[in-house]
Amino acid sequence: MRTVRSILGLAGVGLAAVGLWKLLGQDGADLRDALLWLVGGAVVHDAMLAPVVVLVGAVVMRVLPVWARMPVVAGFVVLGSATLMALPVLGRFGAREDNPTLLDRDYVGGWLVLALLTTLGVAVGSWWQRRQSASRGDEDNPGGDRAHDVPAADGNGFRAARAAAEGQSGT
Amino acid sequence: MRLPDPRRLIPRPQDFTSRLRGPEVTARVGLWLGITFFLAFVTGLYSHFAQDNPTWLTLPTRPEWLYRVTQGVHLIAGSAAVPLLLVKLWSVFPKLFERLDLLHVRRLGVQLAERASITLLVLAAIFQLVTGLANSSQWYPWAFSFRSAHYAVAWVAIGSLALHIAVKLPVIRDALTGSVDAGLRSDDTDAERATSPHPGESVPRTGPVTAGLSRRGLLRATWLATGVVVLSTAGASVPWLRRVSIFAVRSGDGPQGVPINTSAVAAKVVPAATSPSYTLEVTHKDRSATFTLADLRSMPQTTATLPIACVEGWSASGEWTGVRVSHLLDQLGAPAEADVTVESLQRDGPFTVTSLPRQFARDPLTLLALELNGETLSIDHGFPVGSSRRLVRAFCRPSGSAASR
Repeated sequence: MRTVRSILGLAGVGLAAVGLWKLLGQDGADLRDALLWLVGGAVVHDAMLAPVVVLVGAVVMRVLPVWARMPVVAGFVVLGSATLMALPVLGRFGAREDNPTLLDRDYVGGWLVLALLTTLGVAVGSWWQRRQSASRGDEDNPGGDRAHDVPAADGNGFRAARAAAEGQSGT
Repeated sequence: MRLPDPRRLIPRPQDFTSRLRGPEVTARVGLWLGITFFLAFVTGLYSHFAQDNPTWLTLPTRPEWLYRVTQGVHLIAGSAAVPLLLVKLWSVFPKLFERLDLLHVRRLGVQLAERASITLLVLAAIFQLVTGLANSSQWYPWAFSFRSAHYAVAWVAIGSLALHIAVKLPVIRDALTGSVDAGLRSDDTDAERATSPHPGESVPRTGPVTAGLSRRGLLRATWLATGVVVLSTAGASVPWLRRVSIFAVRSGDGPQGVPINTSAVAAKVVPAATSPSYTLEVTHKDRSATFTLADLRSMPQTTATLPIACVEGWSASGEWTGVRVSHLLDQLGAPAEADVTVESLQRDGPFTVTSLPRQFARDPLTLLALELNGETLSIDHGFPVGSSRRLVRAFCRPSGSAASR
């Protein structure tokens, strides 16, 4: 284990060094732009995308009944990641008038179909979960069916956001 | 007005309350993410060498669909990595807010080293997926050369990934061999006991915090999302998936049944390619011969069904008819060990000059194509002559003169 880790670690440092050397060998303007995109991608994720996802988690936990949570989260993971991945084709930013074979599908139409299928899947999943919990609830937890009437214990999100939102200065 | 304590504006790791997070999820998603990055790295390297033809490497000429497959795997692995990376980053997001041990020098050193390596990995991973996806749709909203930047950062990504695995190996092993639900209390996974003991309390300290959700469910959703993005893009290289690939960069249609990579207009070759005085010049040392289109048409023709695979990842198959490159080289008496340089009519761009190593130049299936699927090659496919070299990307503007060295 120790040997494997050492070899893997050293190889990793070496390979990353090769990459950095190749990257830093680029021309000044190219390098500046590449560094901008390197840092920009992570900043967009950490400062914009991730907080939005945390917020969605908090909303899911506070607003949705228990039986709908997993299906909605699954639908969000599927549609959210597919949409992000498809942004370049949805925007058709690379389209060229002289090349009709490039980006030649109805991407927005395809997205709508995917969104519809996802919504259907979430609806069916929620219905199934509700049925499951209802039948289980009859056996060992008669009150379980009411779970969704009670505010969730806490969100998927972080307390600081809530504390700030509710005007509290501390916990 | 009372302002919130500024220290509370930046959350701490313990402020993130979802019990779905944990090495159990991170390691399982990370395993597949690592596999996709490894596949993308290997196939990307192959593509890079296939264009560069380094002298120390002799690439195989068979199977002729090899490059098509490696490019397809590259594209599919890159797409699949998107949901995997997003869920993986979500699962470790609280770690971003871990405070440094400023007072403990040795611990601080270790922390900084780990932070640096992970920062490098995250930056490189996001960069590779963003630039790769944009490139597959031929969208270049940046100034740097896609090819050299994507290539350089690939090494950074795979290197920092190897380092990350080395550091985390014990955690990964424990997480993968243990239960997905490790560390959860039984009531955490039980949706029926989701009621909070104090419904009115804004920040309950105890009780299940992810009622209704489960790590298993999240993992299943991640695999489903991965499958969906793969199916939605793979049609650009897997023909039978075309109908379901709603986000494929090409439908597979095009003139003569094959999509166009770069149009003749975009390559600025229309006048040169349509000129009646077009000739192909083949040189070897001090010998040289020129061939008109009529000369080429009167030579022995070979027809073969060969795939055309582009650096951008898409591929298609066509029936190409034309003159063997080896036949032209024989006319000049060029020796079998001569490598060939193909000059395009295109005057600027990265593919004006392409090398054709000897094993490809002499391959009976390497053609200067005059026809595609039974018709005279369309100008967007490289009229007057296109080189259907199987290995390397579609020669975007392959016509012009050939010289052997």
